[in-house]
Amino acid sequence: MRLKWIAAVAALTLLAVPAQAEKTSLSVLKLASSGPVFLAQDLGYFAAEGLEVELKFFTAAQPVAVAVVSGDAEFGVTGLTAGFYNLAGKGALKIIAGQSREQPGYRLSAYMVSNKAWEAGVRSPADFAGKSFAMTQVGSTFYYMIGLLAEKKGFDAAKMRLVPLQSIPNMVSALQGGQVDTAILPSTVAVPMADRNDAKIVGWAGDETPWQLGALFTSPKMIDGKRATVERFVRAYKKGVAAYDLAFQKRTDQAATDKALDILAKYTEQQKGAIAAGLPYIEPEARFSAKDIAKQVAYWQSQKQADASVDAKEIVVTSFVPSLD
Amino acid sequence: MSEPLRFRGGGFVIGPKPISSCLGGLAVIAIWQAVSSAGWVSPIFLPSPAGIARALGEMALSGQLWRHLGASLQRILLGFALGSAAGLALGLALGLLSHARAAGLPIVSALFPIPKIALLPLFILWFGIGEPSKVATIALGVFFPMAIATYSGVDQVPRTLIRMAQSFDVPTHAIVAKVILPGALPGILAGVRISASIALILVVAAEMIGAEFGIGAFILTAGNLMRTEDLLAGVCLLSILGLAVGFLVSLAERRLLSWR
Repeated sequence: MRLKWIAAVAALTLLAVPAQAEKTSLSVLKLASSGPVFLAQDLGYFAAEGLEVELKFFTAAQPVAVAVVSGDAEFGVTGLTAGFYNLAGKGALKIIAGQSREQPGYRLSAYMVSNKAWEAGVRSPADFAGKSFAMTQVGSTFYYMIGLLAEKKGFDAAKMRLVPLQSIPNMVSALQGGQVDTAILPSTVAVPMADRNDAKIVGWAGDETPWQLGALFTSPKMIDGKRATVERFVRAYKKGVAAYDLAFQKRTDQAATDKALDILAKYTEQQKGAIAAGLPYIEPEARFSAKDIAKQVAYWQSQKQADASVDAKEIVVTSFVPSLD
Repeated sequence: MSEPLRFRGGGFVIGPKPISSCLGGLAVIAIWQAVSSAGWVSPIFLPSPAGIARALGEMALSGQLWRHLGASLQRILLGFALGSAAGLALGLALGLLSHARAAGLPIVSALFPIPKIALLPLFILWFGIGEPSKVATIALGVFFPMAIATYSGVDQVPRTLIRMAQSFDVPTHAIVAKVILPGALPGILAGVRISASIALILVVAAEMIGAEFGIGAFILTAGNLMRTEDLLAGVCLLSILGLAVGFLVSLAERRLLSWR
């Protein structure tokens, strides 16, 4: 009888050891592009590395980065904006792994045209020249994407009327009402709009201008002070990326695809159909393009939206995940 | 012989002390600058007053300051004028006419607490993305507090004065013009003070919709780019405008209420 008790206590102690996982936190958006993080959390990859990750949800890219700077979260994963680079340039953030990319064949961001502009003959991304364009904010990924499009099609983005409307619902309203001619919208919003014939989709940013849209980042303090934690976190993140790749890019295992879609639906609180229609491309080994980051920084500086002192080489750390180039 | 009694009823009278009010502000700025210069807080979290002053100086030199200020002032003045005139008219109706109050007051109470920012997508559909939607945001924000201040101002006119005028058989329009309006004026001016500040607060919300220039647009852009010095420079501009508004209203109070 006593032996049984001792055995039970011993078993409980053994069980309790892995339960004393190291606590860490990640700021993140409820979007499919954060899929690898949700998979790593739900499939226990973080736990296997002895990490207990608290997910802190935000609704815009900017607060995700600010949360890491302020110390409210130790890691962050989101889209790269001019504001991100200004924070990173002050030595507050370091990119350590890749997240989503705009890639040909992946329908993430749609070029959209209002019905009025469509009637007036705006029917392809090349026709965006000189038109009005709705975006969330100056310095946003939308602003960058219209800059990339202008560069590719050889028109001057400064001659367009770029209209900051702060939020995606406002952009939808303006496009619906024909107050702006064009916009770039995420597929989760764009496809239903086009289905209702509220506006027209005339192309996809991934097909025209592929670029490194998102990244996993942390603070320099973490890299200097808790390097082992960062290494474990990145290992688990990479497993999450591999699971994402298997489920949505290789697609060799239907059961894995279905399960991953369930997990994404649970965390993003979106319909499975909407998620499946707008899954971004994520490099299978979580690598990112340092060259692309340098190009982005140079673009923001040319637009006077990133401070001249920002040095792209200082922002990226390639010792956890090697760069693509 | 008893000495003359010392006057003891000073009653904690608050008198103007201009030197103290300047010193208070300067002390706050000096401590802030000292903390920043000593490097105790990172400039990312709290830019120094010198940095903010530099940002303001650069704006003034590049001419952007006047462009932003001009765009915003135009919206604020127009929105405030439209909103407060309509609010004043409704407030008088609510104060003077029983039927208007019975019908209007519940509606005012129901609509006042609606956050104007929540309506921005609708405003875009109704008014477009040009100036009308911005002016409408400010006007709507000013309208309700102005209406409420006016009607409570009218309510606070001493009934005895009105009854006296009525017993002397003064015509109604003269009672309104000579008794009620002057009597309600302190309340109306308090309403002006509050609603003018609300107009300044709402300029940031109004310029969320497609504004290229304006103090609100400047603050929003600075926030999006994480340029905290520019952001606080814009906030300082709003504060200065707030001080100017307060000064103007005080001036109006002294002029218009000299009969008190």
